[in-house]
Amino acid sequence: MKKILTILIAFAVAVSVVLPAYAANGKATYSGNAGNFVFNPGSDYSPTDLFPHFKGVMPGDTLTQKITVKNDADNKVKVKIYMRSLGAHAESVEFLSQLSLKVQKSADNEMAYMFDATADETAGLTDWVCLGMLYSGGKVNLDVILDVPVELDNAFQNEIGYLDWEFKVEEFPIEPDDPQAPQTGDDFNVGLWSAVLVCSLFMMILLFAWRKKEKEQ
Amino acid sequence: MGKIKIKIFVVALVAVLMAFISTSTLAYYSTVGKATNVVTSGNIQFIIHETTDQGKEFPKEGVYIVPGDIVSKKVSIESDCEHPFYLRVKMVYGVDSQELSAEDCFKLNIDEEHWVLHDGWYYYTGIVNPGETTPNVFSHVEIVGSKVDNSYLGKTLTLTVKAQAVQSENNLITDGNTHTASGWPAE
Repeated sequence: MKKILTILIAFAVAVSVVLPAYAANGKATYSGNAGNFVFNPGSDYSPTDLFPHFKGVMPGDTLTQKITVKNDADNKVKVKIYMRSLGAHAESVEFLSQLSLKVQKSADNEMAYMFDATADETAGLTDWVCLGMLYSGGKVNLDVILDVPVELDNAFQNEIGYLDWEFKVEEFPIEPDDPQAPQTGDDFNVGLWSAVLVCSLFMMILLFAWRKKEKEQ
Repeated sequence: MGKIKIKIFVVALVAVLMAFISTSTLAYYSTVGKATNVVTSGNIQFIIHETTDQGKEFPKEGVYIVPGDIVSKKVSIESDCEHPFYLRVKMVYGVDSQELSAEDCFKLNIDEEHWVLHDGWYYYTGIVNPGETTPNVFSHVEIVGSKVDNSYLGKTLTLTVKAQAVQSENNLITDGNTHTASGWPAE
């Protein structure tokens, strides 16, 4: 009993340590077969919010939000993932125009920022920007950096700013010369093997029936 | 019997082939998803507590006094936000008569260990963290008998505590004097 209790407590501690770290990153996941994107973690303000770090910001803050864009489709397709900004909601422009926002791919810090402007603008993300070709399980990490000017006026206390981003995916067939996709275990052909199973069972039943009939004769 | 076996075999083969065909047919899709991202700004808020030494709220309608009285009035400030801040308070005196002055009518036992006077404001020497309450700025008020003479009879004296705060995040002070912090509001 003590052992079980100890294991449960250790598990609870491990979960409590891991969960906040997991929740701190934004995730945009494509689930495949033209399914919707899933956006995590969301917030009280928006279920598709990718900015958990940008809450209660204060003058002088420089904050970084990591966002992972992932292809969770199966191994039969590769996808091109694009993103663009639709800008701030009309009621948020005054507040967000005070803040500076930068977006770049994490893995390649030498690239120019794909977005470097005030947070209300669409700037470098006005048109679709390709984040890359992703195979099953592939991902792109983005760093989003928010700068709040130290001279931000008192009038902007308790403000809420909304800005929309869109993600687009295009599926392409896997070509023979594509790199081998990692085995994710989700390429099991359920339909084929079920059909084989049903046919085999059917044949076995028939064979038993014939044998029985022949014996009777 | 042989013909039946062949028929069954053909049916089974067709079923297997159908399974192959149905699972190997792929359509290549395109889809779009929208994320509504949110940035919120923080704030600095506090509550001024004014209590008596019995722990009750100091009466809003005031108290009757006579010269020489010592009135129990404990003043402290509680953080009511998620961000730490520097704090300063100022006592403003008043009387409902243009001929009289309220200056020097009150004598306060200021806690000078935690509150330092600079340019008319008492600056809290530390940082008020979320959920914290400061030590009392003062705990009682003496009505100065030598100042409050018969001319104050029937008059109303007021003592108003005014407080201001400024964020301590991204606002370091180098000399330990909180009055040197940036961003104190203009008076």
